[in-house]
Amino acid sequence: MNAAAIRAAGLVKRYGETAAVDGVDLDIAPGEFFGLLGPNGSGKTTTIHMLATLIRPTAGSAQVAGFDIGRESVRAREAIGIVFQESALDRSLTVSENLRFAGLLLDLPPKTIAERSGELLELFGLQEHRKAPVSTLSGGMRRALDIVRGVLHRPRVLFLDEPTIGLDLPNRRRIWRFINRLRVHTSMTVLLTTHYLEEADSCDRVSFIRKGRLVESGTPRALVEHLGKHIVEVESEDIERVVTNLEPKLGASLRDGVTAMFRWDREDIAELTRLQSDFASDVGSWKVRRPNLNDVFLWVAGGKALKP
Amino acid sequence: MKLRPFYAVLEREMLRMIRQRTRLVAAMVRPLIWLLVIGGGFNAAMSSARGVAYRDFLVPGVLGMTALFGAMLAALTTVYDKESGVMRMMIVAPLPHAWIVLAKMVSAALAAIVQSVLLVVLLLLLGRFGTGTRWLLLGAAIASTSLACAGIGMLTASFSRTLDNFAATMNFVIFPVFFFSGSLYPVQTLPAVLKQVALVNPYTYGVDFLKHAVLPGSATTDFSLGLDVAVLAGFSILALAIASWRFSRETAYEPMIRVLAGKRN
Repeated sequence: MNAAAIRAAGLVKRYGETAAVDGVDLDIAPGEFFGLLGPNGSGKTTTIHMLATLIRPTAGSAQVAGFDIGRESVRAREAIGIVFQESALDRSLTVSENLRFAGLLLDLPPKTIAERSGELLELFGLQEHRKAPVSTLSGGMRRALDIVRGVLHRPRVLFLDEPTIGLDLPNRRRIWRFINRLRVHTSMTVLLTTHYLEEADSCDRVSFIRKGRLVESGTPRALVEHLGKHIVEVESEDIERVVTNLEPKLGASLRDGVTAMFRWDREDIAELTRLQSDFASDVGSWKVRRPNLNDVFLWVAGGKALKP
Repeated sequence: MKLRPFYAVLEREMLRMIRQRTRLVAAMVRPLIWLLVIGGGFNAAMSSARGVAYRDFLVPGVLGMTALFGAMLAALTTVYDKESGVMRMMIVAPLPHAWIVLAKMVSAALAAIVQSVLLVVLLLLLGRFGTGTRWLLLGAAIASTSLACAGIGMLTASFSRTLDNFAATMNFVIFPVFFFSGSLYPVQTLPAVLKQVALVNPYTYGVDFLKHAVLPGSATTDFSLGLDVAVLAGFSILALAIASWRFSRETAYEPMIRVLAGKRN
Protein backbone atom coordinates (compact mmCIF):
# COMPACT_ATOMS: atom_id res chain seq x y z
CA MET A 1 0.00 0.00 0.00
CA ASN A 2 1.38 3.40 -0.93
CA ALA A 3 1.33 6.45 1.30
CA ALA A 4 -1.92 8.40 1.57
CA ALA A 5 -3.10 10.25 -1.56
CA ILE A 6 -4.32 13.13 0.59
CA ARG A 7 -3.25 13.73 4.13
CA ALA A 8 -4.16 16.82 6.12
CA ALA A 9 -3.40 17.61 9.73
CA GLY A 10 -5.11 20.44 11.57
CA LEU A 11 -5.86 22.54 8.48
CA VAL A 12 -7.14 25.99 9.46
CA LYS A 13 -8.12 28.90 7.26
CA ARG A 14 -9.10 32.11 8.97
CA TYR A 15 -10.49 35.20 7.26
CA GLY A 16 -10.14 37.90 9.87
CA GLU A 17 -11.98 36.68 12.95
CA THR A 18 -13.98 33.95 11.26
CA ALA A 19 -12.55 30.51 10.66
CA ALA A 20 -13.76 29.14 7.32
CA VAL A 21 -11.95 25.89 8.07
CA ASP A 22 -11.24 25.13 11.68
CA GLY A 23 -8.91 22.16 12.06
CA VAL A 24 -9.56 19.54 9.39
CA ASP A 25 -7.75 16.19 9.41
CA LEU A 26 -7.95 13.90 6.42
CA ASP A 27 -6.35 10.62 5.46
CA ILE A 28 -7.46 9.46 2.04
CA ALA A 29 -5.96 6.34 0.46
CA PRO A 30 -4.87 6.08 -3.19
CA GLY A 31 -7.79 5.17 -5.41
CA GLU A 32 -10.35 6.07 -2.76
CA PHE A 33 -13.55 7.88 -3.75
CA PHE A 34 -14.10 10.33 -0.92
CA GLY A 35 -17.03 12.69 -0.39
CA LEU A 36 -16.83 15.91 1.59
CA LEU A 37 -20.37 16.91 2.40
CA GLY A 38 -21.89 19.81 4.24
CA PRO A 39 -24.14 22.85 3.98
CA ASN A 40 -23.21 26.05 2.13
CA GLY A 41 -20.45 27.98 3.82
CA SER A 42 -19.35 24.99 5.89
CA GLY A 43 -15.80 25.12 4.50
CA LYS A 44 -15.88 22.43 1.78
CA THR A 45 -14.62 24.63 -1.02
CA THR A 46 -12.04 26.37 1.16
CA THR A 47 -10.69 22.95 2.15
CA ILE A 48 -10.42 21.91 -1.49
CA HIS A 49 -8.70 25.16 -2.40
CA MET A 50 -6.12 24.66 0.30
CA LEU A 51 -5.48 21.07 -0.78
CA ALA A 52 -5.23 22.21 -4.41
CA THR A 53 -2.56 24.77 -3.32
CA LEU A 54 -4.65 27.71 -4.47
CA ILE A 55 -4.84 29.34 -1.04
CA ARG A 56 -2.47 29.06 1.85
CA PRO A 57 -3.70 27.60 5.14
CA THR A 58 -3.48 29.81 8.22
CA ALA A 59 -2.31 26.79 10.19
CA GLY A 60 -1.82 23.07 9.73
CA SER A 61 -0.21 21.09 6.97
CA ALA A 62 -1.19 18.79 4.14
CA GLN A 63 0.38 16.55 1.53
CA VAL A 64 -1.29 15.73 -1.75
CA ALA A 65 0.16 12.84 -3.75
CA GLY A 66 3.09 13.01 -1.36
CA PHE A 67 3.87 16.70 -2.00
CA ASP A 68 3.60 19.37 0.63
CA ILE A 69 0.98 21.92 -0.44
CA GLY A 70 3.10 24.82 0.81
CA ARG A 71 6.71 24.01 -0.02
CA GLU A 72 6.03 21.90 -3.11
CA SER A 73 2.93 23.58 -4.48
CA VAL A 74 4.02 23.47 -8.11
CA ARG A 75 4.83 19.73 -7.94
CA ALA A 76 1.57 19.12 -6.10
CA ARG A 77 -0.33 20.94 -8.86
CA GLU A 78 1.31 18.61 -11.38
CA ALA A 79 -0.22 15.63 -9.61
CA ILE A 80 -3.73 16.99 -9.13
CA GLY A 81 -6.66 17.89 -11.32
CA ILE A 82 -9.39 20.22 -10.20
CA VAL A 83 -12.85 20.93 -11.55
CA PHE A 84 -14.29 24.11 -10.06
CA GLN A 85 -17.91 24.90 -9.39
CA GLU A 86 -17.70 27.38 -12.25
CA SER A 87 -16.36 26.57 -15.65
CA ALA A 88 -12.62 26.97 -16.28
CA LEU A 89 -12.75 27.32 -20.04
CA ASP A 90 -12.17 30.04 -22.61
CA ARG A 91 -15.55 30.58 -24.21
CA SER A 92 -14.04 32.32 -27.23
CA LEU A 93 -12.02 29.24 -28.23
CA THR A 94 -13.23 25.92 -29.64
CA VAL A 95 -13.33 22.66 -27.68
CA SER A 96 -10.02 21.38 -29.06
CA GLU A 97 -8.36 24.81 -28.77
CA ASN A 98 -9.33 24.89 -25.12
CA LEU A 99 -7.83 21.47 -24.52
CA ARG A 100 -4.68 22.45 -26.40
CA PHE A 101 -4.36 25.60 -24.28
CA ALA A 102 -4.98 23.68 -21.05
CA GLY A 103 -2.62 20.89 -22.11
CA LEU A 104 0.22 23.25 -23.01
CA LEU A 105 -0.25 25.03 -19.68
CA LEU A 106 0.20 21.60 -18.11
CA ASP A 107 3.43 21.26 -20.10
CA LEU A 108 2.18 18.33 -22.19
CA PRO A 109 3.62 17.81 -25.70
CA PRO A 110 1.11 18.73 -28.46
CA LYS A 111 1.03 15.14 -29.71
CA THR A 112 0.05 13.82 -26.28
CA ILE A 113 -2.61 16.53 -25.95
CA ALA A 114 -4.14 15.56 -29.29
CA GLU A 115 -4.17 11.84 -28.41
CA ARG A 116 -5.63 12.22 -24.95
CA SER A 117 -8.16 14.83 -26.08
CA GLY A 118 -9.36 12.37 -28.70
CA GLU A 119 -9.71 9.54 -26.19
CA LEU A 120 -11.39 11.65 -23.54
CA LEU A 121 -13.77 13.44 -25.89
CA GLU A 122 -14.79 10.01 -27.17
CA LEU A 123 -15.33 8.78 -23.61
CA PHE A 124 -17.39 11.87 -22.78
CA GLY A 125 -19.40 11.85 -26.01
CA LEU A 126 -18.01 15.19 -27.23
CA GLN A 127 -16.17 13.93 -30.30
CA GLU A 128 -18.49 15.68 -32.81
CA HIS A 129 -18.14 19.01 -31.03
CA ARG A 130 -14.36 19.18 -31.32
CA LYS A 131 -14.46 22.23 -33.57
CA ALA A 132 -17.39 23.98 -31.87
CA PRO A 133 -16.74 27.17 -29.88
CA VAL A 134 -17.30 26.55 -26.17
CA SER A 135 -19.89 29.35 -26.12
CA THR A 136 -22.18 27.18 -28.28
CA LEU A 137 -22.08 24.13 -25.97
CA SER A 138 -24.89 23.28 -23.57
CA GLY A 139 -24.30 23.46 -19.82
CA GLY A 140 -23.92 19.71 -19.56
CA MET A 141 -21.43 19.48 -22.41
CA ARG A 142 -19.43 22.37 -21.01
CA ARG A 143 -19.24 20.64 -17.66
CA ALA A 144 -18.12 17.43 -19.33
CA LEU A 145 -15.42 19.38 -21.17
CA ASP A 146 -14.39 20.94 -17.87
CA ILE A 147 -13.78 17.48 -16.47
CA VAL A 148 -11.84 16.46 -19.58
CA ARG A 149 -9.73 19.57 -19.03
CA GLY A 150 -9.18 18.61 -15.41
CA VAL A 151 -7.90 15.10 -16.17
CA LEU A 152 -5.90 15.75 -19.35
CA HIS A 153 -2.60 15.24 -17.49
CA ARG A 154 -3.84 12.04 -15.81
CA PRO A 155 -3.69 13.44 -12.31
CA ARG A 156 -3.30 11.03 -9.43
CA VAL A 157 -5.77 13.05 -7.37
CA LEU A 158 -8.89 14.69 -8.77
CA PHE A 159 -10.87 17.35 -6.90
CA LEU A 160 -14.48 17.70 -7.99
CA ASP A 161 -16.12 20.71 -6.39
CA GLU A 162 -19.86 20.24 -6.93
CA PRO A 163 -19.39 18.84 -10.43
CA THR A 164 -23.10 18.67 -11.20
CA ILE A 165 -24.29 21.93 -9.66
CA GLY A 166 -26.82 23.74 -11.82
CA LEU A 167 -27.38 20.81 -14.18
CA ASP A 168 -30.70 19.08 -14.83
CA LEU A 169 -31.20 15.44 -13.92
CA PRO A 170 -30.37 13.80 -17.30
CA ASN A 171 -27.16 15.84 -17.49
CA ARG A 172 -26.25 15.01 -13.90
CA ARG A 173 -26.64 11.32 -14.73
CA ARG A 174 -24.49 11.72 -17.83
CA ILE A 175 -21.73 13.48 -15.87
CA TRP A 176 -21.78 10.68 -13.31
CA ARG A 177 -21.54 8.04 -15.99
CA PHE A 178 -18.42 9.86 -17.25
CA ILE A 179 -16.90 10.17 -13.80
CA ASN A 180 -17.49 6.48 -13.11
CA ARG A 181 -16.00 5.46 -16.45
CA LEU A 182 -13.02 7.64 -15.69
CA ARG A 183 -12.53 6.06 -12.28
CA VAL A 184 -12.67 2.58 -13.82
CA HIS A 185 -10.12 3.60 -16.47
CA THR A 186 -7.63 5.38 -14.27
CA SER A 187 -8.06 4.35 -10.62
CA MET A 188 -7.41 7.95 -9.57
CA THR A 189 -8.21 9.23 -6.11
CA VAL A 190 -11.29 11.46 -6.19
CA LEU A 191 -12.32 14.02 -3.59
CA LEU A 192 -15.87 15.14 -4.23
CA THR A 193 -18.06 17.81 -2.72
CA THR A 194 -21.72 17.81 -3.58
CA HIS A 195 -25.13 18.96 -2.48
CA TYR A 196 -26.87 16.05 -4.15
CA LEU A 197 -26.52 13.42 -1.48
CA GLU A 198 -27.61 10.52 -3.65
CA GLU A 199 -24.43 11.20 -5.66
CA ALA A 200 -22.35 10.56 -2.56
CA ASP A 201 -23.93 7.14 -2.02
CA SER A 202 -21.31 5.55 -4.25
CA CYS A 203 -18.42 7.11 -2.28
CA ASP A 204 -16.14 4.72 -0.42
CA ARG A 205 -16.17 7.11 2.48
CA VAL A 206 -17.75 10.46 3.29
CA SER A 207 -17.10 13.16 5.87
CA PHE A 208 -19.63 15.73 6.92
CA ILE A 209 -18.25 19.19 7.56
CA ARG A 210 -19.99 21.81 9.63
CA LYS A 211 -18.65 25.26 10.53
CA GLY A 212 -15.21 24.28 9.31
CA ARG A 213 -14.94 21.06 11.32
CA LEU A 214 -15.40 17.45 10.29
CA VAL A 215 -18.26 16.19 12.43
CA GLU A 216 -18.99 12.69 11.14
CA SER A 217 -17.00 10.34 8.95
CA GLY A 218 -17.53 6.83 7.67
CA THR A 219 -18.98 4.78 4.87
CA PRO A 220 -22.32 6.15 3.67
CA ARG A 221 -24.00 2.94 4.88
CA ALA A 222 -22.51 3.17 8.39
CA LEU A 223 -23.51 6.82 8.75
CA VAL A 224 -27.07 6.07 7.70
CA GLU A 225 -27.15 3.17 10.16
CA HIS A 226 -25.90 5.43 12.93
CA LEU A 227 -28.89 7.64 12.39
CA GLY A 228 -31.35 4.88 13.27
CA LYS A 229 -33.57 2.23 11.77
CA HIS A 230 -36.44 4.53 10.89
CA ILE A 231 -37.27 8.18 10.40
CA VAL A 232 -40.67 9.42 11.54
CA GLU A 233 -41.79 12.43 9.55
CA VAL A 234 -44.66 14.33 11.15
CA GLU A 235 -46.57 17.21 9.62
CA SER A 236 -48.96 19.35 11.63
CA GLU A 237 -50.59 22.78 11.69
CA ASP A 238 -49.66 22.98 15.35
CA ILE A 239 -46.18 21.46 15.11
CA GLU A 240 -44.96 23.26 18.26
CA ARG A 241 -47.36 21.37 20.48
CA VAL A 242 -46.91 18.04 18.69
CA VAL A 243 -43.13 18.27 19.08
CA THR A 244 -43.43 19.20 22.75
CA ASN A 245 -45.59 16.12 23.30
CA LEU A 246 -43.58 13.72 21.15
CA GLU A 247 -40.02 14.64 22.14
CA PRO A 248 -40.20 12.96 25.57
CA LYS A 249 -41.17 9.74 23.80
CA LEU A 250 -39.10 9.88 20.58
CA GLY A 251 -36.12 12.02 21.51
CA ALA A 252 -34.75 15.15 19.80
CA SER A 253 -36.39 16.24 16.57
CA LEU A 254 -35.35 18.15 13.49
CA ARG A 255 -37.80 20.90 12.53
CA ASP A 256 -38.45 22.31 9.11
CA GLY A 257 -41.48 24.59 8.86
CA VAL A 258 -44.59 22.59 9.69
CA THR A 259 -42.81 19.23 9.62
CA ALA A 260 -40.65 17.56 12.23
CA MET A 261 -38.45 14.48 11.96
CA PHE A 262 -37.71 11.98 14.70
CA ARG A 263 -35.42 8.97 14.76
CA TRP A 264 -36.45 5.50 15.78
CA ASP A 265 -33.68 3.00 16.38
CA ARG A 266 -35.74 -0.20 16.67
CA GLU A 267 -36.99 -2.48 13.93
CA ASP A 268 -40.25 -2.89 15.81
CA ILE A 269 -42.56 -0.01 14.94
CA ALA A 270 -45.65 -1.16 16.85
CA GLU A 271 -45.15 1.62 19.36
CA LEU A 272 -44.94 4.19 16.54
CA THR A 273 -48.25 2.97 15.16
CA ARG A 274 -49.79 3.38 18.62
CA LEU A 275 -48.39 6.92 18.92
CA GLN A 276 -49.75 7.74 15.47
CA SER A 277 -53.29 6.90 16.50
CA ASP A 278 -52.88 8.88 19.76
CA PHE A 279 -51.93 11.98 17.79
CA ALA A 280 -54.25 11.34 14.84
CA SER A 281 -56.37 14.44 15.48
CA ASP A 282 -53.38 16.84 15.70
CA VAL A 283 -51.29 15.49 12.86
CA GLY A 284 -51.77 16.15 9.13
CA SER A 285 -49.45 13.39 7.96
CA TRP A 286 -47.40 10.75 9.71
CA LYS A 287 -44.76 8.88 7.72
CA VAL A 288 -42.37 6.17 8.82
CA ARG A 289 -39.51 5.44 6.40
CA ARG A 290 -35.90 4.25 6.16
CA PRO A 291 -33.24 6.94 6.63
CA ASN A 292 -30.86 7.87 3.82
CA LEU A 293 -27.78 10.06 3.40
CA ASN A 294 -30.00 13.11 3.01
CA ASP A 295 -31.24 12.60 6.55
CA VAL A 296 -27.67 12.36 7.79
CA PHE A 297 -26.93 15.62 6.00
CA LEU A 298 -29.96 17.37 7.51
CA TRP A 299 -29.16 16.06 10.96
CA VAL A 300 -25.53 17.16 10.72
CA ALA A 301 -26.47 20.52 9.20
CA GLY A 302 -28.94 20.99 12.01
CA GLY A 303 -26.07 20.65 14.46
CA LYS A 304 -27.40 17.44 16.02
CA ALA A 305 -25.21 14.53 17.07
CA LEU A 306 -25.77 11.39 15.04
CA LYS A 307 -25.68 9.09 18.07
CA PRO A 308 -28.82 9.65 20.16
CA MET B 1 11.74 26.83 -16.88
CA LYS B 2 8.84 25.34 -18.75
CA LEU B 3 8.34 26.91 -22.17
CA ARG B 4 5.15 25.18 -23.30
CA PRO B 5 2.89 27.04 -20.86
CA PHE B 6 4.54 30.27 -21.93
CA TYR B 7 3.91 29.40 -25.54
CA ALA B 8 0.29 28.49 -24.71
CA VAL B 9 -0.42 32.02 -23.50
CA LEU B 10 1.28 33.57 -26.56
CA GLU B 11 -0.57 31.30 -28.97
CA ARG B 12 -3.92 32.10 -27.40
CA GLU B 13 -3.24 35.85 -27.64
CA MET B 14 -2.35 35.57 -31.33
CA LEU B 15 -5.39 33.40 -32.01
CA ARG B 16 -7.63 35.93 -30.34
CA MET B 17 -6.07 38.81 -32.25
CA ILE B 18 -6.64 37.07 -35.58
CA ARG B 19 -10.21 36.11 -34.56
CA GLN B 20 -11.13 39.64 -33.52
CA ARG B 21 -10.63 41.21 -36.93
CA THR B 22 -12.46 44.40 -36.01
CA ARG B 23 -9.94 44.96 -33.22
CA LEU B 24 -7.14 44.55 -35.74
CA VAL B 25 -8.78 46.81 -38.31
CA ALA B 26 -9.41 49.45 -35.65
CA ALA B 27 -5.77 49.22 -34.63
CA MET B 28 -4.81 50.11 -38.20
CA VAL B 29 -7.49 52.72 -38.87
CA ARG B 30 -6.91 54.69 -35.65
CA PRO B 31 -3.29 55.73 -36.37
CA LEU B 32 -4.03 56.31 -40.06
CA ILE B 33 -6.82 58.74 -39.17
CA TRP B 34 -4.48 60.59 -36.85
CA LEU B 35 -1.73 60.69 -39.42
CA LEU B 36 -3.76 61.52 -42.52
CA VAL B 37 -6.56 63.66 -41.09
CA ILE B 38 -5.09 65.37 -38.05
CA GLY B 39 -1.56 65.33 -39.38
CA GLY B 40 -2.79 66.71 -42.69
CA GLY B 41 -4.85 69.43 -40.99
CA PHE B 42 -2.13 70.63 -38.64
CA ASN B 43 0.47 70.35 -41.36
CA ALA B 44 -1.38 72.97 -43.35
CA ALA B 45 -2.09 75.18 -40.34
CA MET B 46 1.30 75.05 -38.65
CA SER B 47 4.84 75.77 -39.53
CA SER B 48 7.20 72.82 -39.27
CA ALA B 49 8.07 71.30 -35.89
CA ARG B 50 11.80 71.71 -35.47
CA GLY B 51 12.55 71.57 -39.12
CA VAL B 52 10.37 68.55 -39.85
CA ALA B 53 6.98 68.79 -41.54
CA TYR B 54 4.25 68.02 -38.99
CA ARG B 55 2.89 65.08 -40.92
CA ASP B 56 6.35 63.51 -40.84
CA PHE B 57 6.80 64.43 -37.19
CA LEU B 58 3.63 62.48 -36.44
CA VAL B 59 4.86 59.15 -37.93
CA PRO B 60 6.78 58.02 -34.80
CA GLY B 61 3.85 59.29 -32.73
CA VAL B 62 1.29 57.08 -34.44
CA LEU B 63 3.65 54.09 -34.37
CA GLY B 64 3.90 54.61 -30.62
CA MET B 65 0.12 54.95 -30.45
CA THR B 66 -0.32 51.56 -32.12
CA ALA B 67 2.11 49.94 -29.71
CA LEU B 68 0.39 51.64 -26.75
CA PHE B 69 -3.19 50.70 -27.71
CA GLY B 70 -2.24 47.23 -28.89
CA ALA B 71 -0.31 46.36 -25.74
CA MET B 72 -2.75 48.01 -23.33
CA LEU B 73 -5.84 46.34 -24.80
CA ALA B 74 -4.12 42.95 -24.79
CA ALA B 75 -2.75 43.34 -21.26
CA LEU B 76 -6.11 44.49 -19.99
CA THR B 77 -7.65 41.22 -21.16
CA THR B 78 -6.04 39.93 -17.97
CA VAL B 79 -8.87 41.70 -16.15
CA TYR B 80 -11.33 39.91 -18.41
CA ASP B 81 -9.47 36.64 -17.79
CA LYS B 82 -9.89 37.20 -14.05
CA GLU B 83 -13.65 37.25 -14.52
CA SER B 84 -13.82 34.36 -16.96
CA GLY B 85 -12.65 30.80 -16.78
CA VAL B 86 -9.29 31.43 -18.36
CA MET B 87 -7.55 32.55 -15.20
CA ARG B 88 -8.90 29.42 -13.50
CA MET B 89 -7.09 27.34 -16.10
CA MET B 90 -3.91 29.28 -15.53
CA ILE B 91 -3.86 29.23 -11.73
CA VAL B 92 -4.28 25.45 -11.55
CA ALA B 93 -1.42 24.88 -13.98
CA PRO B 94 1.75 23.62 -12.36
CA LEU B 95 3.69 26.88 -12.73
CA PRO B 96 4.84 29.57 -10.37
CA HIS B 97 2.13 32.23 -10.61
CA ALA B 98 4.62 34.99 -11.52
CA TRP B 99 5.26 32.99 -14.70
CA ILE B 100 1.67 33.71 -15.79
CA VAL B 101 2.20 37.45 -15.38
CA LEU B 102 5.38 37.32 -17.46
CA ALA B 103 3.63 35.27 -20.16
CA LYS B 104 0.69 37.68 -20.28
CA MET B 105 3.02 40.68 -20.46
CA VAL B 106 5.13 39.21 -23.25
CA SER B 107 2.05 38.16 -25.21
CA ALA B 108 0.60 41.68 -24.90
CA ALA B 109 3.91 43.07 -26.19
CA LEU B 110 3.84 40.57 -29.04
CA ALA B 111 0.32 41.64 -30.01
CA ALA B 112 1.54 45.26 -30.06
CA ILE B 113 4.60 44.35 -32.12
CA VAL B 114 2.52 42.52 -34.73
CA GLN B 115 0.16 45.48 -35.04
CA SER B 116 3.03 47.97 -35.25
CA VAL B 117 4.73 45.93 -37.96
CA LEU B 118 1.47 45.82 -39.92
CA LEU B 119 1.26 49.60 -39.63
CA VAL B 120 4.87 49.96 -40.78
CA VAL B 121 3.98 47.95 -43.88
CA LEU B 122 0.92 50.14 -44.53
CA LEU B 123 2.96 53.32 -44.07
CA LEU B 124 5.62 51.98 -46.42
CA LEU B 125 2.95 51.40 -49.05
CA LEU B 126 1.74 54.96 -48.47
CA GLY B 127 5.30 56.21 -48.88
CA ARG B 128 5.43 57.72 -45.42
CA PHE B 129 8.96 56.75 -44.45
CA GLY B 130 11.88 58.99 -45.24
CA THR B 131 15.00 57.62 -46.88
CA GLY B 132 16.95 58.07 -43.65
CA THR B 133 14.87 55.59 -41.62
CA ARG B 134 17.11 53.28 -39.56
CA TRP B 135 15.24 50.01 -39.86
CA LEU B 136 17.08 47.92 -37.30
CA LEU B 137 16.75 50.68 -34.77
CA LEU B 138 13.05 50.93 -35.63
CA GLY B 139 12.61 47.21 -34.86
CA ALA B 140 14.30 47.65 -31.50
CA ALA B 141 12.25 50.77 -30.78
CA ILE B 142 8.96 49.00 -31.58
CA ALA B 143 9.90 45.99 -29.44
CA SER B 144 11.01 47.96 -26.39
CA THR B 145 8.11 50.44 -26.59
CA SER B 146 5.64 47.55 -26.90
CA LEU B 147 7.13 45.82 -23.86
CA ALA B 148 7.00 48.99 -21.77
CA CYS B 149 3.39 49.61 -22.86
CA ALA B 150 2.53 46.01 -21.94
CA GLY B 151 4.07 46.80 -18.56
CA ILE B 152 1.76 49.80 -18.14
CA GLY B 153 -1.12 47.50 -19.08
CA MET B 154 -0.17 44.73 -16.64
CA LEU B 155 0.22 47.27 -13.84
CA THR B 156 -3.22 48.67 -14.60
CA ALA B 157 -4.71 45.17 -14.81
CA SER B 158 -3.16 44.11 -11.53
CA PHE B 159 -4.71 47.08 -9.75
CA SER B 160 -8.20 46.90 -11.25
CA ARG B 161 -10.60 44.35 -9.89
CA THR B 162 -13.39 44.26 -12.42
CA LEU B 163 -14.21 44.92 -16.03
CA ASP B 164 -16.36 47.88 -15.00
CA ASN B 165 -13.13 49.78 -14.74
CA PHE B 166 -12.42 49.22 -18.37
CA ALA B 167 -13.88 52.40 -19.83
CA ALA B 168 -12.40 54.37 -16.98
CA THR B 169 -9.05 52.77 -17.71
CA MET B 170 -9.27 53.88 -21.33
CA ASN B 171 -9.96 57.44 -20.31
CA PHE B 172 -7.71 57.71 -17.29
CA VAL B 173 -4.74 55.61 -18.37
CA ILE B 174 -4.41 55.20 -22.12
CA PHE B 175 -5.34 58.71 -23.20
CA PRO B 176 -3.24 60.56 -20.58
CA VAL B 177 -0.29 58.31 -21.34
CA PHE B 178 -0.69 59.15 -25.01
CA PHE B 179 -1.30 62.88 -24.65
CA PHE B 180 1.34 63.50 -21.96
CA SER B 181 4.14 62.34 -24.22
CA GLY B 182 6.04 63.54 -27.23
CA SER B 183 3.68 61.80 -29.66
CA LEU B 184 1.90 64.93 -30.85
CA TYR B 185 4.42 67.67 -29.95
CA PRO B 186 8.05 67.92 -28.91
CA VAL B 187 8.45 67.49 -25.14
CA GLN B 188 11.02 70.28 -24.81
CA THR B 189 8.57 72.96 -25.94
CA LEU B 190 5.75 71.85 -23.59
CA PRO B 191 4.68 74.20 -20.75
CA ALA B 192 6.53 73.41 -17.49
CA VAL B 193 3.83 71.35 -15.74
CA LEU B 194 2.95 69.26 -18.79
CA LYS B 195 6.63 68.76 -19.39
CA GLN B 196 7.14 67.34 -15.89
CA VAL B 197 4.30 64.87 -16.44
CA ALA B 198 5.74 63.85 -19.80
CA LEU B 199 9.16 63.32 -18.24
CA VAL B 200 7.87 60.73 -15.74
CA ASN B 201 5.79 58.98 -18.41
CA PRO B 202 7.77 55.93 -19.59
CA TYR B 203 5.89 55.95 -22.89
CA THR B 204 7.49 59.34 -23.69
CA TYR B 205 10.85 57.57 -23.98
CA GLY B 206 9.36 54.96 -26.31
CA VAL B 207 8.15 57.67 -28.70
CA ASP B 208 11.55 59.33 -28.45
CA PHE B 209 13.23 56.04 -29.35
CA LEU B 210 10.91 55.77 -32.38
CA LYS B 211 11.88 59.32 -33.40
CA HIS B 212 15.55 58.36 -33.26
CA ALA B 213 14.79 55.56 -35.71
CA VAL B 214 12.32 57.28 -38.05
CA LEU B 215 13.64 60.87 -38.03
CA PRO B 216 17.35 60.37 -37.40
CA GLY B 217 19.52 63.42 -37.12
CA SER B 218 16.58 65.79 -36.80
CA ALA B 219 16.05 68.06 -33.82
CA THR B 220 12.78 66.33 -32.93
CA THR B 221 14.26 63.91 -30.38
CA ASP B 222 14.22 65.02 -26.76
CA PHE B 223 16.60 62.56 -25.08
CA SER B 224 19.60 60.47 -25.93
CA LEU B 225 19.12 56.96 -27.29
CA GLY B 226 20.86 55.54 -24.21
CA LEU B 227 18.44 57.22 -21.83
CA ASP B 228 15.43 55.96 -23.84
CA VAL B 229 16.65 52.36 -23.73
CA ALA B 230 17.52 52.56 -20.04
CA VAL B 231 14.15 54.01 -19.04
CA LEU B 232 12.15 51.53 -21.17
CA ALA B 233 14.10 48.51 -19.92
CA GLY B 234 14.08 49.67 -16.31
CA PHE B 235 10.37 50.41 -16.37
CA SER B 236 9.50 47.08 -18.00
CA ILE B 237 11.36 45.14 -15.31
CA LEU B 238 9.83 47.24 -12.53
CA ALA B 239 6.30 46.83 -13.94
CA LEU B 240 6.77 43.07 -14.22
CA ALA B 241 8.01 42.87 -10.64
CA ILE B 242 5.15 44.95 -9.22
CA ALA B 243 2.47 43.15 -11.26
CA SER B 244 3.84 39.73 -10.23
CA TRP B 245 3.93 40.81 -6.62
CA ARG B 246 0.37 42.13 -6.78
CA PHE B 247 -0.75 38.97 -8.48
CA SER B 248 0.79 36.54 -6.02
CA ARG B 249 0.15 38.56 -2.90
CA GLU B 250 -2.28 36.68 -0.77
CA THR B 251 -4.70 39.49 0.02
CA ALA B 252 -5.02 40.51 -3.61
CA TYR B 253 -5.07 36.97 -4.85
CA GLU B 254 -7.41 35.15 -2.50
CA PRO B 255 -10.56 37.15 -3.17
CA MET B 256 -9.86 36.47 -6.81
CA ILE B 257 -9.55 32.73 -6.19
CA ARG B 258 -12.80 32.80 -4.28
CA VAL B 259 -14.61 34.59 -7.09
CA LEU B 260 -12.99 32.41 -9.74
CA ALA B 261 -13.90 29.22 -8.01
CA GLY B 262 -17.47 30.37 -7.63
CA LYS B 263 -17.45 30.73 -3.88
CA ARG B 264 -19.57 33.65 -2.88
CA ASN B 265 -20.33 34.27 0.74
